[in-house]
Amino acid sequence: MDLLVFLYLALGMCIPGLLAVLSKNPVHAVLWVLVLIIHQAFLLYTLGSEFLAAVQIIVYAGAVLVLFLFVVYMINLRMEERWRVFVKRSSLGLLILLFFAFFFFKSLAFLTALSPHFKANLHYDLSQGTNLWWIARYLFTHYLFQFELIGVLLLVVVLGAVFLLRKLKEVEGDSL
Amino acid sequence: MIPFEYYVLLTLLLFCIGLIGVLFRRNLIILLVSFEIMMNALMILFASISHYTKDVQGYIIVFFLIALAAAEAGVGLTLVVLLYRKLRKVYADEINYFRG
Repeated sequence: MDLLVFLYLALGMCIPGLLAVLSKNPVHAVLWVLVLIIHQAFLLYTLGSEFLAAVQIIVYAGAVLVLFLFVVYMINLRMEERWRVFVKRSSLGLLILLFFAFFFFKSLAFLTALSPHFKANLHYDLSQGTNLWWIARYLFTHYLFQFELIGVLLLVVVLGAVFLLRKLKEVEGDSL
Repeated sequence: MIPFEYYVLLTLLLFCIGLIGVLFRRNLIILLVSFEIMMNALMILFASISHYTKDVQGYIIVFFLIALAAAEAGVGLTLVVLLYRKLRKVYADEINYFRG
């Protein structure tokens, strides 16, 4: 039963991923990624973290993909008019893809060979608290600095976006 | 209990799907979407390692990765909008601004 659920979720992630990458219409691509992300949220739930599943749905499906859709509609992308969806020099790309696939396969095979020797660094015990409790406990003590750093990063992104889009309007004056 | 190798294979597959999008697509927005797919693959890997070792670290890294992905989407889409305003194009092989 576990395996069946896993296989369904894996198929539900790989097929929409492929369709998103290969689709001509950007709106369809973003919607296929939405399907992928909802399946991934369930996969994270089966991996024992209900908090991350909720965050995945709220942040990705609620914020990031809406941002993508908003930009697609804002710059008014039509379908790719030309039949050729892909870039011209794709033979070099194929070479790079094969190289990377080989490299990742080797390194991930190494990882699976190593996996019986994995040891927990920040061990947790579900009898003492839920997964969310443990995440919060380590996030606000052990990883407090990194947490603040992520907050600063998001602030920089917001300020950078506002600054960049404002600057061009002053220079060009009449664009948009 | 599902073997750990299955999660690793799923990660590999999704990462390569994202890589196909990054290497072969012309559309800059779909390129950013492919980056998101690659990042999602890494999230599965970290969460599964965390699940199999009873370790919180992987979950926390996934949390940070989600925040980073949001930041990356913000910056990337800002640059796409800027490029569209300047050149009226969003296709990667048509943007040859510096060659004149």
